[in-house]
Amino acid sequence: MNEQRRGISEDWLAVWMGLLIFVLALGALAGADLLGWGVTTKVWTDFAKALAPVSDAYAKLPGVVSLLATYVFLLVVTTLGAAALRADVRRFAGAFTVVFWISYACWVLGSFANIAATSDKLAAFKISWSLQLTAEAGFIVALAAGLVVGNFLPRFGESLREALRPEWYIKTGIVLLGGFFGVAAAGQFVLAKAVLFRGICAIVEAYLIYWGLVYFVARKYFKFPREWAAPLASGISICGVSAAIATGAAIRARPVVPIMVSSLVVIFAVVELVVLPFAAQHFLAHEPMVAGAWMGLAVKTDGAAVASGAVADSLIRAQALAIHGVRYEKDWITNTAAAIKVFIDVFIGVWAFILAIIWSTKIERREGDRVRAAEIWQRFPKFVLGYLLTFVVGLTVGLAAPALMGKLKAAMAEANVFRGIFFVMTFFTIGVVSNFRRLAEEGIGRLALVYVVCLFGFIIWIGLAISWIFFHGITPPLAAA
Amino acid sequence: MADEPKLAEELKKLADEPLLPVEKKLIAWSLGLGIALLGVLVWLSRTFFPT
Repeated sequence: MNEQRRGISEDWLAVWMGLLIFVLALGALAGADLLGWGVTTKVWTDFAKALAPVSDAYAKLPGVVSLLATYVFLLVVTTLGAAALRADVRRFAGAFTVVFWISYACWVLGSFANIAATSDKLAAFKISWSLQLTAEAGFIVALAAGLVVGNFLPRFGESLREALRPEWYIKTGIVLLGGFFGVAAAGQFVLAKAVLFRGICAIVEAYLIYWGLVYFVARKYFKFPREWAAPLASGISICGVSAAIATGAAIRARPVVPIMVSSLVVIFAVVELVVLPFAAQHFLAHEPMVAGAWMGLAVKTDGAAVASGAVADSLIRAQALAIHGVRYEKDWITNTAAAIKVFIDVFIGVWAFILAIIWSTKIERREGDRVRAAEIWQRFPKFVLGYLLTFVVGLTVGLAAPALMGKLKAAMAEANVFRGIFFVMTFFTIGVVSNFRRLAEEGIGRLALVYVVCLFGFIIWIGLAISWIFFHGITPPLAAA
Repeated sequence: MADEPKLAEELKKLADEPLLPVEKKLIAWSLGLGIALLGVLVWLSRTFFPT
């Protein structure tokens, strides 16, 4: 790649974009409602009532105008971001427009009352049944639409390539999620501390147990050489694409190796995204935080893991309400999955550093090949800084000025509008880039087999066991009726 | 843009590499430390971060 054309990384861009929206939302604290025109989609039977601005201050604004304003704002912000990425700005703007409107249409469709309404709202909507998936059903619709485009309309999918950036979208969403979690943590400090500490414990366990097992299975039973086994172990066991690439670089594997591993990681992350949240709803409705931790530990790639947490959040809350009449606060399950994924990402650099030392000093000794501690920083996922910053600001303001809590929650609700849109675009674009035809490629069987054996044979079960050990008995706070 | 590497060709090139003692040690340490830390971390979380 031409170095002169390399722009800012998606990681840093997610930080700046997330912070921009976060700061604008915080204007509400000073009485400046800067994002209140952002669109929200309500569960609907009459489409005319589906869209509305998030803030009462903009109540007179028609929903469609609110949606257009949201689109224009995001188009401008993301196109400036694309310019910073040195992407083809014109192609990006066109592709982003398509991605935005398809994604939002999926979101609106998923909010249809027969799909989304929870059991306590059926009478209000005058309907006799609903799938009770909550409005987050739009995520599943977006994923399905993306998979159709990616696998059956490849030329159309290719035309969107410039805006198919699920990692950018989810990382921006995660930065915004940090502020939301910080405010929630200020209201439930003891619970939040426990979730964060236990999350760190869970990922230490997962790293140590997962990696050793997968590496052993890949080397001993599938006879993969070290160059393949190490990125495979990191990709399957830790955090998908970024871990495979970091490990490949640490052990000086050829670039082809992490690329091949990454293509499998993306495909199987989608399989997990489709299956695991529903399994969690069925088996873990009484242990919601175990479910959140499980999504973070078991589902690979940032996008799919946090997306799985969001789906599990909506499914389990709907299930708890329908069966037990318990109404949990929204987003604690998502936050648990996201926090665990963030911690995992933080440790990727550390793990790659350890492997680099072992490889260069013990396995493939290379003259003059020094491992620099700076590599930990180079591999550090920078969007985590944005997540931590918004979390600390939300937490600090919430703890220091409880009187501002109402305004703070209103501000986060405005930021949440954009977080939801970034999430739904993540689902759609993950679907588009998930090329299942790759599974038909000659030679993929052996690689896929080790992946399937490890992932479904023990990764998700060990992840479940670790999640259970650290999170069982913890429940989200109850929401006001 | 260069052609995408063919996976089948790459996998055909794989040579058998027996597990080195250092790899066995890495696996054993990774698993052993994980199991040993489990008890410590459970105790820490229940003692200092109850819910």
